[in-house]
Amino acid sequence: MTVTASDTALRAPSAGRRAKVPRGALQGERRRLYLPMLLPALIAYLVFFVLPSLFGVVLSFAEWSGLGTELSWVGFSNYVSMAGSELFRASFVQTLILTLVVGLALFLIAGASMIVLRTARGSAFIRAAVFLPFMISPIAVGLAVSFLFNPDGLINTVLGALGLSELRQPWLAPELIFNVIMAGVVWSAAGFYVVLVMSAVDGIPPSYYEVARIEGASELQQFRYVTLPLTRDMLAIAASLWAIAGIKTFEIVIAFVGTAGTPPPEARTLAVEQYLRVTGGREGGLAQLGEAAAIGIVMTVITAVLIVLSRRIQRRERLELA
Amino acid sequence: MIRAGLALIRALIWAWVLFNVGMVVWVLLNSVKSSREIFDNPAGLPATWMWENFATAWSDSGLGAAAINSVVLTLVSVALIMALSIPAAYAVARLGGRSSGPVTTFFAVGMSIPFQAFAVPMVLIGAGLSRFMIDWVTGVWDTRITVTLFYVVLSLPFSIFVLIGYFRSLPGDVEEAAALDGASPFRTFRQIMVPLAKPGITTVAVLNALSLWNETVIVLMLVPDQSAQTLNVALLNFYSNMQYTSNWGGLFAGVVIVVLPMIATYLWFGRRIVNGMTQGIGK
Repeated sequence: MTVTASDTALRAPSAGRRAKVPRGALQGERRRLYLPMLLPALIAYLVFFVLPSLFGVVLSFAEWSGLGTELSWVGFSNYVSMAGSELFRASFVQTLILTLVVGLALFLIAGASMIVLRTARGSAFIRAAVFLPFMISPIAVGLAVSFLFNPDGLINTVLGALGLSELRQPWLAPELIFNVIMAGVVWSAAGFYVVLVMSAVDGIPPSYYEVARIEGASELQQFRYVTLPLTRDMLAIAASLWAIAGIKTFEIVIAFVGTAGTPPPEARTLAVEQYLRVTGGREGGLAQLGEAAAIGIVMTVITAVLIVLSRRIQRRERLELA
Repeated sequence: MIRAGLALIRALIWAWVLFNVGMVVWVLLNSVKSSREIFDNPAGLPATWMWENFATAWSDSGLGAAAINSVVLTLVSVALIMALSIPAAYAVARLGGRSSGPVTTFFAVGMSIPFQAFAVPMVLIGAGLSRFMIDWVTGVWDTRITVTLFYVVLSLPFSIFVLIGYFRSLPGDVEEAAALDGASPFRTFRQIMVPLAKPGITTVAVLNALSLWNETVIVLMLVPDQSAQTLNVALLNFYSNMQYTSNWGGLFAGVVIVVLPMIATYLWFGRRIVNGMTQGIGK
């Protein structure tokens, strides 16, 4: 396919012929193509995504159980009642804890990988293997991890076999389940962030490290004075990507309980809490669409705040690497 | 001291690699064990290889129908996404004037809005749409069409944003040369620029296919009918029935059915998927 294109390039006319072409006419023809090509996507995006999202903001000021039921405007009362609701507060705090704790773990893992992976043997294979869980459906990840931590699961069996029976835990009990979920999220996401920051590390010219080595910098100093300053922008991008992803954590929690049960309040994130309100819970309760919409707005605000905060990591001037 | 620390990190990373490989092997082995053996012999090879786990998962637990739903929804959605986003991205990258900057930003904003801000309006539009179609237009409606609609619009921001980058990176004189040879702007797009952008287009299509294959929450919210649900949701239903069926071997066979196409895609496209996910974002 590329052959066609390069053939055309080979037949590209000389500068002399180029001068004769009526550029204005050509530009005009191209301009006329702009809207017909852009509009289908733009209209679909506007009508079915942007406007509905704005409608979601409006809905968060209403009380409604869906089409065919009565809608009443309630002002800020969805937000007020949320602030007073124990379930909402728990899911709010858990979502923040998950985003921050898992975020910190991802940062440490990515940082450690940046120190050793640049020069490690088998680096490409390592990256491919650690990236793998990120590709896999979070439902499958959640099922596998929850089974691993099952009371009769592999973790407890192995602990028993090693003679560490006192370390055996009811991992999926309400007190511990959220920690297990966070471990599952770390496992499924870490590889992506390692590969992401390593793509920035690969962009650093090797000569920088050579100079640092000649100057007598240790591997840690090379990390501190070469790698870290030159990958700050990517770390900022990674942080905001994680903020966007972490706040939305949903599937893995649901995978721990299946569709029949309801996750215990100790394990709910905001997205789970919203899902239960959209569907009216699994017990056939009424949907609370206004409250669900308000949760969506709260999540958008948290995401925006976290994105702004992670942008602060970014350096102000743009770096051009040789 | 530092040496030991670095060696420790290296060892931990290799342990992580081994753990990932081990998890894949463990799931594969569990999928061919009897449910008893999964608990009694969690780490060893199966005494009898229960290939029928796949048969029971496929037919008795409805994963077969769900797999077909997943395949059709993914393929149709990706085709529509590409049909909409390739021309739009080309227009913004190559044909637009002053408006192309703001339009790019407009699409980019969609990437950072959490899905949950959109969830309630989506459910309402879904309900309204099917009622409208049933009452006024076709008389019947399939919620899978609604799912396709939202799969497409929710994937547009990412797809268009990344494709704009690809089209911008192509050399401009190729277009000029084609025009001088008498190709109309649309023909230049179709016969020159799209083939040139093919690596980028393939990457975006594969990435969309991956994320839609793994998608769960939209189907959970929009499709109440079990026979119309996708693999991930069917797997959740399967898991919920576990207390009655105790067919753990079948559940792991189901996990394999969901995961294997992704691992195959990963092995097939490998670096391109990784680069597309990481480098496209960094720009």
